[in-house]
Amino acid sequence: MITEKGLWNRLRLRLLFTGPTLFAFLAVMIIPFLYGIYLTFTNWDGISTSSSLVGFENYVSVFKDTVFWQSFLLTLKYVFISVALINIVAFLLAYVLTSGLKGQSIFRAGFFIPNLVGGIVLGFVWQFIFSNVFVYVGKELSIPLFSDSWLADPDKAFWSMIIVTVWQYAGYMMVIYVAGLMNVPKDILEAASIDGASLWTKMRKMILPLMVPSFIVCIFLSLQRCFMVYDLNLSLTKGGPFKSTEMVSMHVYEKAFLSRDYGVGQAEAFVLFLLVATITIAQVYFSKKLEVEA
Amino acid sequence: MKTWKWMQALALSLIVVMVVTACGNKSEESGEGAAVKISLLNSKGEIQAQLENAAKAFKEDYPNITLEIIPVPAGQSPFEKASALYASGNPATITMLDTGDVEKFKDRVLDLSGEKWMADAVDRSTALTTFDSKNYAFPLAIEGYGFIYNKAVLDQAVGGSFDPATVNTTSALEDLFKKIEASGKAPLIISPMDWSLGAHYLPLAYAGQSSDTAAVAKFVDDLKAGTVDLAGNAVFNGLIDTFDVMAKYNIDKASPLSGTYERGPEVLGKGEVGIWFQGNWAWPQISSFDTASGQYGFLPVPVSNNPADFGNTQISSAVSKRLVLDKEKNTAEQQAAGKTFLEWMVYSEKGQDFLVNQANIIPAFKNITLEAKDPLAKSISEHIAEGKTEDSMSTLPADHWAKIGASMQKYLAGAADRATLTKEIEAYWKTVK
Repeated sequence: MITEKGLWNRLRLRLLFTGPTLFAFLAVMIIPFLYGIYLTFTNWDGISTSSSLVGFENYVSVFKDTVFWQSFLLTLKYVFISVALINIVAFLLAYVLTSGLKGQSIFRAGFFIPNLVGGIVLGFVWQFIFSNVFVYVGKELSIPLFSDSWLADPDKAFWSMIIVTVWQYAGYMMVIYVAGLMNVPKDILEAASIDGASLWTKMRKMILPLMVPSFIVCIFLSLQRCFMVYDLNLSLTKGGPFKSTEMVSMHVYEKAFLSRDYGVGQAEAFVLFLLVATITIAQVYFSKKLEVEA
Repeated sequence: MKTWKWMQALALSLIVVMVVTACGNKSEESGEGAAVKISLLNSKGEIQAQLENAAKAFKEDYPNITLEIIPVPAGQSPFEKASALYASGNPATITMLDTGDVEKFKDRVLDLSGEKWMADAVDRSTALTTFDSKNYAFPLAIEGYGFIYNKAVLDQAVGGSFDPATVNTTSALEDLFKKIEASGKAPLIISPMDWSLGAHYLPLAYAGQSSDTAAVAKFVDDLKAGTVDLAGNAVFNGLIDTFDVMAKYNIDKASPLSGTYERGPEVLGKGEVGIWFQGNWAWPQISSFDTASGQYGFLPVPVSNNPADFGNTQISSAVSKRLVLDKEKNTAEQQAAGKTFLEWMVYSEKGQDFLVNQANIIPAFKNITLEAKDPLAKSISEHIAEGKTEDSMSTLPADHWAKIGASMQKYLAGAADRATLTKEIEAYWKTVK
């Protein structure tokens, strides 16, 4: 049957299998994406029944919107610190939890659980911890660091975001690192031990280079998730105090739906998409070159 | 080969059926019969349960109309939810909007100018939703805000019965704060939410410019044009002077931004503070902590030391929530049922009971004579009856509360001085289109 003649016949067979998925993919991914790009050239406010084309005006406003670029810089800072901490913590956890510790599967499950809690719920839980539990403990034991809510101070609120992000994703990345560590061949490690290589040498010369694929995946995932952070930002700090922790996704959302500048908001989202795509593709491209074979 | 073709056809048609049914519109099932199903998008979260009960009471009077109440999720604005429903082609029959949003929806909602209740609506209550002399919205609730005082705490502080009329200047307010402090209680709590500071407190500076609403509108236009010198504006400076006094006596002075809304009613109701800057919508929460046997009332926010100045004896109030009826996707029967519900609230005994007694709403209709049981609504109603009100700013730009709220928080936390605050407000208005 596969050898049936004619373009239409072959196409029909393919459509039978790929058609439904293709339809879904077009309907929920490609068409909205293209429509979104179209919206960036209009001045629609989100509700009015009419709108007109305005050319590149919205993109000009994006470059003039200093708050957008400020929050982009803040997001970069947040992404950089979180990605570094997430991966360091996750790798250390994975290393400890593959070293044959008693009850390590329970620990693995425990560290993974935060990732199963949605960002919104997690934000509210930590909001309570930062502004009630910490403050209570801080006042009882008179520790000045904790006696006021962390979320009321711009710098501490920023660090609260990072702490919660690391707590949320470290367990997830740990699972990937655990898989990577298990795939490091035991024979070469044993041979190295016999040759008298120290733990640090083995780590540096063998484990880390062999783990590059895991690092690529984990850094990619954490980069992309941290860039797009919104739920945690909303429920933990609401961008406050006074907009000092407003990440770029939140700014875009507020531009479109709160300031009702749908076109500009959409244009900012598109610019953000290009920036994040460039950064993540560059990361994957350059780190691929570090890959080695055992 | 034949069976194969047949199976292909079957599989394809199955897919088509699945896709079509998934996208199909289910609202057409109620074609015949008198039963009508309508929905109301509720953006006043605190009256969700009361509205659901009202829908049941309404069904007793009109058995063929079923009213479903859809809540706007916490944290989402009514505009967002309503526009999302419109975008999905599934708007509620009745949508509860903030006053300033009605204009955006005017092409999609019914003209209500011919309704019976128009004749009984309070003066100016429909002015802001009338465009080209057509009124598009039903005024649902009047809300007011100012300093809510706990009379038990204030009686103790002043040593006798506290007379709210004595507080009509900034220095009188400060004296009161000092007396409360001397009696061992904290004078007041400032709840640092951006909406409270940005949508309620600061707009007093605009509304207080003049008792003439046209002059206030002109002031806002001048702000947009960038021709107002806020730094030299007496009302603005007076209001911020009062804010400085408030900040000085704030119970949360050590960490002014850490408070939450929930903390306000608790400390006021328990009598830990004497005063809270908030509005009458807070009554349900205050009453659950009440230790003053329901003795609360409103004080105006003074803007100068001259008792005769406008704003020093006036409470800010306005119609805050409006109902609009969709005309695009709802059938004529649904629209008529929606109108029936509006009329039922204003003219039936059960409807009035719902508004005043259940939902603690101050209705915007002269024919409703039920007296509010809740002391805050009563205090607002008294001020309205005496004409001691200042129209709240209800048509500010949609992002005003968030942007200006952030600037006010910065000022409250001491991270910005008055010059910065003034500059930020002026800069914000210049970006408004």
